[in-house]
Amino acid sequence: MGQVRAIVLRAAGINCDMETEYALRLCGAEARRVHVNRLIENKSLLDEYQILVVPGGFSYGDDVAAGRILANQMVHHLAEPLRKFVDDGKLVLGICNGFQVLVKTGLLPGGEFQNKVTLTDNDSGKFEDRWVHLEAMSGKCVFIGQGEKIYLPVAHAEGKVQVADNDVLEQLKSADQIAFRYVDSSGGQAEYPYNPNGSVEGISGLIDSTGRVMGLMPHPERYIRPTQHPHWSRLSKRSEGDGRKIFANAVEYVRKNLLTPSGK
Amino acid sequence: MEFLHDGIPKFSRKAVWNKPKLSEPAIEACDNYNEQLKAILSSYNIASKEWVIRQYDHEVQGSSVIKPLTGVVNDGPSDAAVIQPKFESQQGVAIACGMNPRYGDIDPYRMAISGIDEAIRNLICVGARFDRIALLDNFCWGNCDKPQTLGSLVRAAEACRDGALGFGAPFISGKDSLHNEFEAEDGTVISIPPTLLISAMSLVDDVEKCVTMDLKQSGNILFVVGLTKNELGGSHYYKINGAVGANAPEVDIEKSSETARRMSQAIADGLVVSCHDCSEGGLAVALAEMAFAGGLGIEADLKGVPRTDDCTGTNRILFSESNSRYIVEVEPGNFDRFAKTMLNMPFGQIGVVSSSGKVVVKDTDGKAVIDEQTDELKKAWQKTFNW
Repeated sequence: MGQVRAIVLRAAGINCDMETEYALRLCGAEARRVHVNRLIENKSLLDEYQILVVPGGFSYGDDVAAGRILANQMVHHLAEPLRKFVDDGKLVLGICNGFQVLVKTGLLPGGEFQNKVTLTDNDSGKFEDRWVHLEAMSGKCVFIGQGEKIYLPVAHAEGKVQVADNDVLEQLKSADQIAFRYVDSSGGQAEYPYNPNGSVEGISGLIDSTGRVMGLMPHPERYIRPTQHPHWSRLSKRSEGDGRKIFANAVEYVRKNLLTPSGK
Repeated sequence: MEFLHDGIPKFSRKAVWNKPKLSEPAIEACDNYNEQLKAILSSYNIASKEWVIRQYDHEVQGSSVIKPLTGVVNDGPSDAAVIQPKFESQQGVAIACGMNPRYGDIDPYRMAISGIDEAIRNLICVGARFDRIALLDNFCWGNCDKPQTLGSLVRAAEACRDGALGFGAPFISGKDSLHNEFEAEDGTVISIPPTLLISAMSLVDDVEKCVTMDLKQSGNILFVVGLTKNELGGSHYYKINGAVGANAPEVDIEKSSETARRMSQAIADGLVVSCHDCSEGGLAVALAEMAFAGGLGIEADLKGVPRTDDCTGTNRILFSESNSRYIVEVEPGNFDRFAKTMLNMPFGQIGVVSSSGKVVVKDTDGKAVIDEQTDELKKAWQKTFNW
């Protein structure tokens, strides 16, 4: 059986690449951080990997809008290799700023949703660092099982999912492309601060029509070890971090579907 | 040639410090201190800073182990932050602060030495090592061309020297911002109060042994470690009563170091489930913060508080801001081991953690002088900056 290989994209201002690489390694992938310019120089580099992660941070200082410049680099220089990457059945994950990038490239939600979904300023009008409860909503997401509840931190100022109109929202739902929604501590509908940014219907993550391209505002790579929990010191049972699941499921998916002898 | 061989000629400036003529106020005792405690919890230097803390990324790179906010709903005030900078190592770095500009109105020396002691005990509270502490000084002063202003700076610098040598904690860097003075058109001069912020950092051997300040479990025992003295000068209790006072807290560096070493040992041995330093607002504020951070109650009395003979009166014991004190929560099964670790130190059992949802503190005669819902105390603490 071959090795699961993950590429973590770097660019000026990205600051969550190290811990994302670490999370992937813990889950059994061979992970490497590669600058977007190296990828643009050598586009065939992507062929060596099965998982692409666009990590969090402030790529290019969030100039113009969060994630816009990195998204433009990807659209103008990497459109073909990225399309091939997804068409080959591989996985793409965008976290926080990476989610903003994937939305601005059009990879998310993808298809007919081009320019109908965006991420904008939090309702609170300020940066918010807090922990949130999430419920996995989609039956076709390869990163997490439907109905699973996880606890992760958010840290962003532009994380509000906004849709063009109600039809778009209904289409997203019927296409099963809502990956996560914010819920309150008992699993019900989330108001602020449980919904930290005012996202419509508490949407905190999206997937494309294949279920293999996902973006989310919360940071799974920041809850890998028990001591990253905000009050781990009062928990009697110290389980490993909820964020691990997302990386572990991605690695497992690649092993089963892309690396087994019967696969490609 | 003199310049080349002997370097830049040194400035000679005049510095004067005259001890201000201050006295202790006479404040009438009360039967109940609920309202005064809540007023202190709402004051600017004590109230929750959550509004601003959430606006910066305090867990970037996933390295924070103790975050600035902690407790059952992640909103209690941590004594120090701990980060684990290397994924593959269990070692951590603890970072804490100490500052109290009000003491500077009485004596900048006591302000500075208190800042050092506070920063150090904040580190100790989370489980950092006492023998690897480094300090930073951050001075904000008025116009130091004035001999009086420079004199107060010299007083503070002397305390920094004594603190660094006494605690074996070197100043490795710092920052100063002098000449914070403004003259209005009508000639009014506005100068900031002399203010010294001390930052301290130290190593943590194993981040999984770190301790937070939120109460953990009803039935656990609460201890006060360290001596409560008649030191309310510059205190928040005096502030809400419109007074400054004269007895700003001092530091006995030798005793404070020994207390810190023993506390550090108790935490390393796993005997402590929560620990909080006593500072602004004294014992009463520390107990309230531990209770609402943990979502639990407290049954305490002041009989067990180790104090000096001149520290009489319920209000003094509740609100004295003496340095080098810790409130510690210990499981009943560890009572003996903890007491043994603290042998010959000033420490005393003051009560237990309860599930009543109330903070009840009785005076030395057994009469309840604080009796308030934990939620109400938390509300008072949060409302000031709840923007």
